[in-house]
Amino acid sequence: MSDVGKVRLRVPSTIKPGDVVRVRALVIHPMERVEVDKQGKAIAKNYNYINKVVVTYLGKTVATIETSQSVSENPFLSFTFRATDPGPLTVTFTDTHCGKYEGTADIKFS
Amino acid sequence: MLGGLGALGMTTLTGVLAAPRTAAAQAVGVQETVEVALKRFFGTRPLQDGSRLIKLEVPLIAENGAVVPVAVQVESPMTPGNHVKHIYIVADKNRIPIVSRVTLSPAAGQAFVGENIRLGETGDVRAIVEQSDGTLFQVKREVRVTVSGCAA
Repeated sequence: MSDVGKVRLRVPSTIKPGDVVRVRALVIHPMERVEVDKQGKAIAKNYNYINKVVVTYLGKTVATIETSQSVSENPFLSFTFRATDPGPLTVTFTDTHCGKYEGTADIKFS
Repeated sequence: MLGGLGALGMTTLTGVLAAPRTAAAQAVGVQETVEVALKRFFGTRPLQDGSRLIKLEVPLIAENGAVVPVAVQVESPMTPGNHVKHIYIVADKNRIPIVSRVTLSPAAGQAFVGENIRLGETGDVRAIVEQSDGTLFQVKREVRVTVSGCAA
């Protein structure tokens, strides 16, 4: 459990300016499922799951992903962005219990 | 409902998030049937067949419904005037059918998203794409689930 909130980002090792880069992101998170009582009705409570993922590059938002409990445990996402300048790429995961988990990858040109 | 609003208020305090946190922004993780969900998001707007534009990659048979890799790629020039604004991933038979909504900016360079999702039972998985001019396209594909991803 102690690993909750660990973010891993994978970017390709060689990036050229102007490339469209595909990034893979993983966060360790339980993503609680909906619990059901004996009658098959869902129990209403404040489930702990990631509901928002924000990708920023050079301070600008590239993509926002709103997720629900239908996303797997330890969410694994991939997305693209256009690399124009060297700088940080940040992915921020926010969950319903106010947890905020961040991962940063430095984009460098080789 | 009240609890949800409370969490929403708290998360705004953490700042950084550029998009405004409206009630609609919180609208993704709602338990409903897929018909209700589609009506809520798109109203009466027609969903055109997008099989020429959208490439939806899902397995034919998902042995484990708890982790089903899904990838959506859309052909689009991704310029400020003509880009893909939203990609919705929808699993028809799930308790929460709208799995996720992706909001893209032209800086993404390519309209692509990949995700691992849960599937409760065998059913259609759809990708619905909203272009910047508001037109909607969808593709769907059936996925057979051997072991349920359980109550997701």
